[in-house]
Amino acid sequence: MTKDNGTISKQKFMQELRRYQKGSVTRRHFLGVTGLGMATTVLGTAMPGLLPRPAFAAGDIGDRVILATWPNYHDEMNFEAFTEATGAHVQVNVFGSNEEMLAKLQAGGSGWDVFVPTNYTITTYVGEDLIIPLDTSKLPNYDAGSFEQRFSDAGSVDGTLYAVPKNWGTTGFAVNTSKLDGAPTPTTWKEFWDLTMAGYSGRTMVHDYQLTTIGNALKYFGYSFNSVEEKELADAEKLLLDAKPHLFAISSDYQPPMRNGDAWMTMCWTGDGKQLNVDMPEIAFVLGAEGGELWSDYYAIPKGAPHMDAAYALIDFLLNPEVNAKEVLAHGYPSADARTNALLPKELLEDPILYPAAELLNALEFGAAATLTDPNRAELLARFKSA
Amino acid sequence: MSVAIQTIAELRGVTKIFGDVVAADSLDLAIGEGEFLSFLGPSGCGKTTALRMLAGFEKPTKGEVLLDGQVVNDLDAHRRPVNMVFQHYALFPHLSVSDNIAYGLRQQRPRIERKIISAKVEQALETVRLGGFGPRRIWEMSGGQQQRVALARAIVNEPKLLLLDEPMAALDRKLRKEMQIELQNLQRQLGITFVLVTHDQEEALSMSDRICVMEGGRIVQVGSPRELYDTPRSRYVAGFVGTSNFFDATVTDASPNHITVQMASGRQLHGTPEIPIDTGQAVCVSIRPEQIALTRAERAAEAALPVTIHNRIFLGEHTEYLARNEALGDFLVLVPRQAELNEGTFNAGEQAFVSWDEGALLILEK
Amino acid sequence: MTQRGRNALLLTPAGLWLLVMLVLPLLVVFVFSFGERGAAGGYVPAFTLEQYANLPARWTAFKNTLILAPLGTIAALLIAYPLAYFLAVRCAPRWRTSMLILVIVPFWTSILIRSYAWIFILGGRGLPALLETIGINDVRFINTPFAVLVGIVYGYLPLMVFPIFVSLDKLDKRLLEASADLGSTPWRTFRQVTLPLSTPGVATGCMLVFILLMGEFLIPAILGGGKVFFVGNALVDLFLQSRNWAYGSAVAMTLVIIMLITVSIYMKFISRLGGHRDDVSLM
Repeated sequence: MTKDNGTISKQKFMQELRRYQKGSVTRRHFLGVTGLGMATTVLGTAMPGLLPRPAFAAGDIGDRVILATWPNYHDEMNFEAFTEATGAHVQVNVFGSNEEMLAKLQAGGSGWDVFVPTNYTITTYVGEDLIIPLDTSKLPNYDAGSFEQRFSDAGSVDGTLYAVPKNWGTTGFAVNTSKLDGAPTPTTWKEFWDLTMAGYSGRTMVHDYQLTTIGNALKYFGYSFNSVEEKELADAEKLLLDAKPHLFAISSDYQPPMRNGDAWMTMCWTGDGKQLNVDMPEIAFVLGAEGGELWSDYYAIPKGAPHMDAAYALIDFLLNPEVNAKEVLAHGYPSADARTNALLPKELLEDPILYPAAELLNALEFGAAATLTDPNRAELLARFKSA
Repeated sequence: MSVAIQTIAELRGVTKIFGDVVAADSLDLAIGEGEFLSFLGPSGCGKTTALRMLAGFEKPTKGEVLLDGQVVNDLDAHRRPVNMVFQHYALFPHLSVSDNIAYGLRQQRPRIERKIISAKVEQALETVRLGGFGPRRIWEMSGGQQQRVALARAIVNEPKLLLLDEPMAALDRKLRKEMQIELQNLQRQLGITFVLVTHDQEEALSMSDRICVMEGGRIVQVGSPRELYDTPRSRYVAGFVGTSNFFDATVTDASPNHITVQMASGRQLHGTPEIPIDTGQAVCVSIRPEQIALTRAERAAEAALPVTIHNRIFLGEHTEYLARNEALGDFLVLVPRQAELNEGTFNAGEQAFVSWDEGALLILEK
Repeated sequence: MTQRGRNALLLTPAGLWLLVMLVLPLLVVFVFSFGERGAAGGYVPAFTLEQYANLPARWTAFKNTLILAPLGTIAALLIAYPLAYFLAVRCAPRWRTSMLILVIVPFWTSILIRSYAWIFILGGRGLPALLETIGINDVRFINTPFAVLVGIVYGYLPLMVFPIFVSLDKLDKRLLEASADLGSTPWRTFRQVTLPLSTPGVATGCMLVFILLMGEFLIPAILGGGKVFFVGNALVDLFLQSRNWAYGSAVAMTLVIIMLITVSIYMKFISRLGGHRDDVSLM
């Protein structure tokens, strides 16, 4: 709900989803188009003592499992089913950014059993010795072959499996085409920045997140999204500083201003793009032709997890294609698991925003660990923000 | 009684209503220049309201307040040439003693020269015998000293009226006596008109030229302390000004200057009326304790009643006896030391007679 | 037990609390501020003044904070004082409690949510749209320093109102009558009696608001659209995003030192201004 969370789109997406579930006019339309919305996720139920316990436990995995994840990223009914099957209650801790998760694990004593890191953080966790290799014998539902490789690669470091894929998405931009005065919809990051400093001055938003904001500025010059080259970063910084006076805001909370017309264009994660487009068809979601970010979230087990057996049991349960399909229907993010996709409605799989065309997808880059932890990039964004 | 030469302040039919409470009911009163006048009455009698209307803190609901012949109903407090000594002094805690005293002078426009102000402040400090205390902080002063600062703060402005709202209430008994004398001297020395509000009859009797007794928002009697004491018009006034013995009675003969009343017991007594009296009227008779003689033998006086001594309290110059008459009830009798020496001390249970001289029995409004 | 022993016992819980929650963390921050950033963020022990030398990179954040915090304090004071005065002096006693509750009610809701509400009030469809109806076009409030100021004043108003209300409420109303009685006009009475006697409340309110504003980050983040950057925002970024703990510690230490200096100057000023005993009650 605050400004400093990179992967916020998930949360925002579900917030919007919930808003419509509460019975606004566009509800049926919304559900019809997206195929979403059976589930209502309830988070933060951290009082296992108050919940009814099953008469017997299926296996001796303890009475609870603690999951650190993103907001509105699960189907609560799946958790209930898990509790019923195993006797372990799922306690959910919600986080706003990978940096926060990393900070918490670095500080020690997190008490987590399972958490949901994004692709580019996994090598850092391994390097800092914060997560354990996964024992696939305890994950019968994990079938490496059924995952699209580009979304499962990052789970292994030096041939050892540390994390299994959860969901994936992209970062592009959303643009309100009704303000273009008939000009064609921009398709590149170059156009994004040029338009920001021209016709859309005072109406554009960029993320409060170095990975995407700097990455997409680098794309203006055709550099890699992940560049940490001094010269290239200097170019990006100049562009950002030039653009700053023209920005409406530097914030990852872009849905409200896009909806009320204060902002006309914004950097945007898949889910938000879909949501904005559904409600306001004049808002287009664009993946910059130069490329941009592709991301993938994973399940992993932190070192020293207090309920190790329950951790494996939960991950395995969530990897079950039927369970996973329910998850996808609840939160709306694409899955990389072919077995899961086989169970999803066709409209969902054919949605151009959620599942972009291959050539657009191929231009995208995964964020790199070095990009996230690079001190120069962090400092660059800080300079940009405080300029 | 010092006769008021010229009226300086006046209440004309002044009524003040707060919500549905009539705090002051058609007050009529003229205050003479240089006079020391007290409003006397229990709390809630309207005396403070009267004072506050003179000060300008309250506006009369009806009637007129006059100062120096001018109607001042609509003149705000800060424009009236009147100053007040507040009950708890209301000294400014953030100012020194001399700054407190100089406060009023500094408000005057055109401005008074600084030198003159400090000279006046010094003089006021001397007047209240606080010379040298000027730089002190208020909280460094004792209660009595604070009282004098409050006094100095008011008189330094040479007001037409100095209003004193229960100024001695917070002082102990000894200090109060001293202050009473000091206030009286001050008033004579300065020639300022003082208007005092008090519930303490002794304070009112000892200091005032005139006392205005109030009850339930009304003025019940105005007069010199002696007048009020000797010729109260009602049982209320007689009870408030000094102590007295009261009995219910009915008028049987209303001849001018000589009234005969019949007591509940059937006994007939004679008295002096302070009010117009009709035959058959129910009245109250009053006899002051010091006007009763207590003797062993029946005196050939106007009335002599047999009593039994019930209680004796030695008070130094007086001895106070409680004597009971079978028919009329208790009499409080004050026997001067000399008389007691002549007659000898009475002991509880002893039989005796009470008697009084013609004219001592007052016939009052019930 | 001796009086001294009892006193020590009384102070022990607070002392321990301060030691664990304030002194030790501050010490940690102090030590960290001379260290270096680790490869994956965090802190690596070292002794270098590099972090302090790098402070100018956050100049804008310090500048914004040092301008907007005092400005917000003053604005809150200008709004809070008349309100507190009305509540304490003018308001009929039977309404006072309900009015006070109205002042507190916003505190029952998180400042986050209240600040979010301002996004919509100050956003394009809020005030600017209203102004357009009377012919004033193209006004932008949201994501400007002005919006941050509005949010600050709104968020911190009760903190300013209450101390002032308390000092005005305990002010002896007879002093006001005494002043009027001595010939002072209402305005001069206010200046010469009410204002000086309410300085302890004003001082406390200003101090509370100012100190909190110096560390503020939420309101600038929400209403400044990331464009109005406070030191607090710089710290959040440094600790949670770039995880440069050493530099963050140096920035935090600098903020603490600036606050200590301003607050001590301010205390001196206030105690000289009032000078009467009640001023000891300041803070």
